[in-house]
Amino acid sequence: MTAAIGLPTGPPPKKFKLRAPKFALAVPAIVWYIFLFVIPVGLVIVNSFGSKLQGTPGKVDLSAPSLDRYREVVDGDFSDVLVQTMKTSLLGTLLCLLISLPIAYYLAFKTSSRAKVVVLALLMVPFFTNYLLRTLSWQIVLQPKGFVSNFLQDTHWFTFGQALRDTPIKILKTRTAVQIAIVYNYLPLMIFPLWVALDRVELHLREASKDLGAGRVATFVRVTLPLAMPGIVAGLVLVFVPLSGDYVTAELLGGVKGNMVGRAVADQYFRSQDAASGSAIAVSLIISILVILGVLAAVFWCVRRILAVNRRVTVVSI
Amino acid sequence: MKRRSRSSSDVPRILISQQAAQRLAESISRRRFLAMSGGVAATAALAACGSDEKKSSATTSADTTAATSGSSTAESTAATTASTAASGNFDKKINMFTWAEYDDPDLLKSWGDISLTIFNSNEEAVQKLVQGGGSSGFDMVVPTGPYIPQLASADLLLELDKTKIPNFANLDAAYANQTWDPNNKYSVCKNWGTTGWIYDTTIVKTEIKTWSDFIAAAQGDASGQTSVLDTAPNLCGMYFWANGIDWTTEKKEDLDACEEFLVNEFAQHLSAFDSYPGINLTQGNYALSMVWNGDARQGLLGVEAAGDDPDQYKWGLGAPQTELWMDNWCILKEAKNVDASYDFINFILDPKNSITDLNFHGYNTGIKGVEELAGDVEFKDMIFFTEAQVATFKPGAVNSAQDRLVDIYSKVKAKAGG
Repeated sequence: MTAAIGLPTGPPPKKFKLRAPKFALAVPAIVWYIFLFVIPVGLVIVNSFGSKLQGTPGKVDLSAPSLDRYREVVDGDFSDVLVQTMKTSLLGTLLCLLISLPIAYYLAFKTSSRAKVVVLALLMVPFFTNYLLRTLSWQIVLQPKGFVSNFLQDTHWFTFGQALRDTPIKILKTRTAVQIAIVYNYLPLMIFPLWVALDRVELHLREASKDLGAGRVATFVRVTLPLAMPGIVAGLVLVFVPLSGDYVTAELLGGVKGNMVGRAVADQYFRSQDAASGSAIAVSLIISILVILGVLAAVFWCVRRILAVNRRVTVVSI
Repeated sequence: MKRRSRSSSDVPRILISQQAAQRLAESISRRRFLAMSGGVAATAALAACGSDEKKSSATTSADTTAATSGSSTAESTAATTASTAASGNFDKKINMFTWAEYDDPDLLKSWGDISLTIFNSNEEAVQKLVQGGGSSGFDMVVPTGPYIPQLASADLLLELDKTKIPNFANLDAAYANQTWDPNNKYSVCKNWGTTGWIYDTTIVKTEIKTWSDFIAAAQGDASGQTSVLDTAPNLCGMYFWANGIDWTTEKKEDLDACEEFLVNEFAQHLSAFDSYPGINLTQGNYALSMVWNGDARQGLLGVEAAGDDPDQYKWGLGAPQTELWMDNWCILKEAKNVDASYDFINFILDPKNSITDLNFHGYNTGIKGVEELAGDVEFKDMIFFTEAQVATFKPGAVNSAQDRLVDIYSKVKAKAGG
């Protein structure tokens, strides 16, 4: 306790002061973290070494821990589901990025502040609708006897696609359906961080770039984009991670062809009553996500490193 | 903060005052710090919730998907003739765990407030109830017969007090006292049904008469447009029925052959595992589906209602053998609304209500004289079967093969998606 300037100095009042340690504020977060993350995930990891207790619904036999469940994941057909899921997630994340970038750019630089409110509100509106319902609506849109399919068959605009005219679209219950809906569902998660990142790129810097002779493209590529890079990375992670674990979209739109790991896990738990296999698949998913993120981070780091050599600016003081 | 002061000539240099240089350097590092910490925080947060989000959504979303509920304002204009269960005051309110499209919503509303949560297979229902450990919040569950011992041994079911269900006497004795629940200790028959197929005749050109034809069509005309029921016994049952093997077989060689065939020769032709292909018949998702008779009937009614031609689709009863299943009303031990549950079971066993419900779900409710009472119900041949047909219906069993069946089913599912 040091005396601050302007305050009377003297012995502190004798009143006993109860002082909680500073980390007290973090206690709710720590409790949340331990009970809702560390313990459940720990249990999942433990269960993944067990095996199904035969004849019981969902009990795990841990008497002889082994890596057999992981072997089944790697050797069996689940590895295909895992690979497919990762492909879907990476492609989905990339599509989200490509679609979001122009939108975020438009929002950050090309709209008046009033229009910005409107556009942001429009982007938020889908969030007011339940995730499940938004996904279900794709069932209506994509069904072979739905209005899109009927429209495409009735109008003869698509002269190139004879087949398209004569047969209903068969997208529902395929991976394509899952891919489309997943991009749609996670798009806002990409747009917002991108917008924030681009918005933070100060106009002065872009002006300076132009003053110094850079064209529009050069300014975007060499100034705006590098400055927004942290936001882009955040957006990529924000979309990629939950997308990889998505369950609802695959459940509602995927059929068997558009299966995702999240649904495979749920299937193991609830339909197959096999918590051990489900846990092993879940852990495999977590590992896959971490590996992919690690690889991406390494690639990013290398690219930055290489670029940095050519972009180095020395600030010299006089 | 890193300040690079290399003086090699290829590095561009900016010449500014010392004050400005400091501010510029600071502002750059501050922005980088903010951006980085933002990114890191978001990453950490997501990495954390990515994995448990998956679990929580798995437990919640699926079973609430089709949850509908009778409006709470519905007055109880219950037309129960027989005197309802003794005890006087209770809310007419039940949380029920059941199959989709399984009860007439208007009928439920006329009784009281029933909120429905849907499951797709018995395995799923049992798993969720057992996992809930008696605190799933449901009052009633509607399992298929052979799964009742599993639930009972987990101490989840309430022993029924038949004096509270006077209308139990209306049930045909043929559907009481089944092997899996002697003396109806825990359950009362809701209805029974069987399994067959429905196909779109514009796509499947050859007539399907047996399960072998079904498999051939799935591998042929309907490849990639075929759905099967989302339950392990039905999937494997298809193979057993087609090959004249008892579908309750516990023989290893039968199960091996079944796995071999389904995983390697059948899985790749599937489009979906769907327990309710009938309800969504109007969507036109499948050319061929394995389907329960009542669901198929509801589908054809839906096609009619949508103004399409139901003759485009053809229903067939599984042959040479097929399934006989019976779903049952059970009250859970944990039930909060026990009296209401008894009252509801009594209500639904009233012949008048039973027939109303039958009209909706299209399954035989096992009430005495049900066929005459049903009168001119649409697609009657999909509800009531001849004695010769019934003779080909085989009840299922939960036996030592159960785990293996589920294992085969998982493998087929994984293979089909690969």
